[in-house]
Amino acid sequence: MKVALKIWRYDSSTGQRALKEYEIDAPEEATLLDCLDIVKDKRDGSLSYRKSCRMMICGSCGMRMDGAAVLACKTGMYDIAQAGKIPVISAMGNLPIVKDLVVDMASFWEKMRSVEPWLQPGLDAATGKENIVSQAQMATVHKESLCINCGCCVSECNSLESDPDFTGPAALAKAMRFVGDPRDGNAIERLEKLSGQHGIWDCTRCYFCQERCPKGVDPRDAIAKLGAEAMKFGIDSDMGARHAKWFVTSARTTGWLRETELVPKTQGIVKSIKETKFALDLARKGKVPPPFPPHVAKNQKEARLLYKLVKEQGVSGAAGIVQAEKALGRIEFVKEAEHAKHEGASK
Amino acid sequence: MVYVHGVEAMHDVLVIGAGCAGMRAAIEAHDAGANVGVISKLHPTRSHSGAAEGGINAALGNAAEDSPEKHAFDTVKGSDYIGDQDAIEIFTAEAPDDIYQLEHWGAVFSRNDQGKLAQRPFGAAGSPRTVYAADITGHVLIQVLYEQLQKRMVLGADRMKVYEEYFAWQLVINDGRCTGVVCWDLVRGGLKLITGKSVILATGGAGRIFRTTTNAYACTGDGMAMALRAGLPLKDMEFMQFHPTTLYPSGILLTEGCRGEGAYLINSNGERFMAKYAPNAMELASRDVVSRSETTEIEEGRGEKGCVFLDMRHLGAEKILTRLPGSRELAMTYAGVDPIYEPVPVRPGAHYHMGGIDADNDGKTAIDGLYAAGEVACISVHGANRLGGNSLMETIVFGRRSGRHAAEWALSSAGNGGRAPASVLTDAERELDKILSVQSGERPWQIRQDIGESMLENFGVFRRGEKMEAEVGILEGLRERFDKGVHVEDKGGVFNTDLTSAIELGYVLDLAQCMVQAGVARKESRGAHARPYDYPTRDDENFMHHSISTWNHEANAPVLSTKDVRVTKWEPMERKY
Repeated sequence: MKVALKIWRYDSSTGQRALKEYEIDAPEEATLLDCLDIVKDKRDGSLSYRKSCRMMICGSCGMRMDGAAVLACKTGMYDIAQAGKIPVISAMGNLPIVKDLVVDMASFWEKMRSVEPWLQPGLDAATGKENIVSQAQMATVHKESLCINCGCCVSECNSLESDPDFTGPAALAKAMRFVGDPRDGNAIERLEKLSGQHGIWDCTRCYFCQERCPKGVDPRDAIAKLGAEAMKFGIDSDMGARHAKWFVTSARTTGWLRETELVPKTQGIVKSIKETKFALDLARKGKVPPPFPPHVAKNQKEARLLYKLVKEQGVSGAAGIVQAEKALGRIEFVKEAEHAKHEGASK
Repeated sequence: MVYVHGVEAMHDVLVIGAGCAGMRAAIEAHDAGANVGVISKLHPTRSHSGAAEGGINAALGNAAEDSPEKHAFDTVKGSDYIGDQDAIEIFTAEAPDDIYQLEHWGAVFSRNDQGKLAQRPFGAAGSPRTVYAADITGHVLIQVLYEQLQKRMVLGADRMKVYEEYFAWQLVINDGRCTGVVCWDLVRGGLKLITGKSVILATGGAGRIFRTTTNAYACTGDGMAMALRAGLPLKDMEFMQFHPTTLYPSGILLTEGCRGEGAYLINSNGERFMAKYAPNAMELASRDVVSRSETTEIEEGRGEKGCVFLDMRHLGAEKILTRLPGSRELAMTYAGVDPIYEPVPVRPGAHYHMGGIDADNDGKTAIDGLYAAGEVACISVHGANRLGGNSLMETIVFGRRSGRHAAEWALSSAGNGGRAPASVLTDAERELDKILSVQSGERPWQIRQDIGESMLENFGVFRRGEKMEAEVGILEGLRERFDKGVHVEDKGGVFNTDLTSAIELGYVLDLAQCMVQAGVARKESRGAHARPYDYPTRDDENFMHHSISTWNHEANAPVLSTKDVRVTKWEPMERKY
């Protein structure tokens, strides 16, 4: 098949960028990585990109296609070529470009190291046998352990774009991999550190990391789990934590978020008074409802029942989030199995 | 052009390669008190060890009764009796403690109902002894080793330095001792000389010699070729393992764990053909046996598009989604087939090189101060055929042993000194300029492709005398084309992979020549070296020895000799599964 690509080239010696178009012949099963190889072999040997395993496990070939981070080896080109599209390939975002599609990952790894990504003296380190841990306990960190450090999440992170010092989705997911590991003995110290500046509460919850992760690590869920664990241990002095807590209280009591009370509960009375003018401006434009009479949801009872149900389960923190994920996964799973049975029968 | 940046560092132990063996060696050398440098052409977590799927073997006895002795016997038998038995006994005896250590370091292994490490059945194993992490065991090990490496980088004062994306090019041999390596700094450009009192090669395999391979682009046998050119003997080069289940057309691996969990192999008539070839072990016979059976089926017309099928449908969605989710994703992404509903087309592909640098049980080679561990080495634990799950274990056991030994040697009086002459850099610079001065001519890709195609055709699962002889000539022709000077288009310093892949092509060519020469000379069928048409049986009287390849610089070609196999207690028997 004919494949056309536009590639953002970057020459580090001159600092110049240029968008170049290439057209090549490729086999129908070709991935984006295969196409780049053909360009490099047969069109322009100076094109630079990282690659190694070509099977979605080494994490080398993170880059952007039409502005969204992808693993080149995971991206089939057939449909794109058939539709006559000419995708634009560029280096990942939020990381400085070294050359063409190669980025400098130094800050990625520095942040990774900042969360002390190694098991800290866990259980019975010297028994000469394995630690006994159930599969269910290990499931808390299953998704986080899938991370291949490709950087796609970091590339897409909106918080990082506005605060380059934000710890970022990859390092936070790695942190969760240890906080949630029953063999790690330092969860509280880790959570205290992660709850500080540039930490878990600085995530804007845009979910781009989750959307673009090629391995199903779901970094935003990992950050939510860290938040839940922090709450469980009473590490909730950060404004972000207080903000999240008020959401729960508000939903439980009236079934709605009460914005007017959110600000004082999160920021404190003194700071809120300073924001009075802003609040009045918002109210004038109809952006916040008046605080009185209190805003109560029609199905308020249902909200309370849900809250009660979750409480009764008695599973808090990250395990609670995983339980919910699993419950959803289970449904999908049963559907798949039934479908397979049905298929089998019809054959 | 000035590429010389001078001597950059001095270490007690320098490790080249940062996959499982390299990182394990570096950690051990550090913990033995050495100042350690690690060079890797990829970032450590990108190493191909991370692509290992099925698991790692140790006789823990968590799933059924087992012992290191049984593990050793299975390994000796699997090796078709040219594994060195003293090495195998050390290997299986030390494996369990290494697994417990990995677990204590935090490896996210799968668990059984009692919360112990789960173990699954694997090919040619007398007991379920393969410890695993779903079907991403290599990934989990790479992660835990890098975590431990980082811990030492952060907390270990300045005794652990990692040179990421440094491409190793030439070993420095001074007064009969290895003292460092000349490498190319990929990110910044420039030749660098990095020195160590001792040097450990852990650069992995060379699957890229073959067109259909499970191996990453990085697996070009760099360490083996550098050692060969530095005068070291390579051992058992003819033994390339073909894995029975690689995807069509990419060659991407589907783990033996699929069959360990119960998947069938069927031909185009829907028959479980392994019943004919290995009635007891069926799909879980040794890899060489299964690959040959598949090839016979395909050659006799019971395949489809050069493939047979891996059938997992009867395992059910739940088992596939929990135990083999990665394999399912690979099949869906690269073959467009969902194994829950359809059989997956598979065929044998080059997977693991049993041969490598001749090294002893501590990883020590024939050159003072130079060690080898992992797939680059041939100790030999695997002999003529490796058992699934034994390679990850080998990287850990022998990575640790070589790291310990290299550190102790470097810190002893024997290891004193060990400086590298600065002239090696000027020599290398001259050579580099020669490569970059080629302004026209053949691009490397065509030669690379021709090696891969011809090796697969003439040196694949089944080997015929006349085809191997023909391959000798083909490779000589390819060498002529290569030696004329291939055209590297990128002349820049920054991330010049056009340059490094041209150098890798030279490595691949050297090693292919060694392989074929050793294959022609081995007039028998043993393990992965199968000659059904002229020498269909094993010939212990004449060939129960290792092949040794060295490089003759005058002739610019390999030279072959032999070496005895070390036998402790298992006399050769007929191999049946």
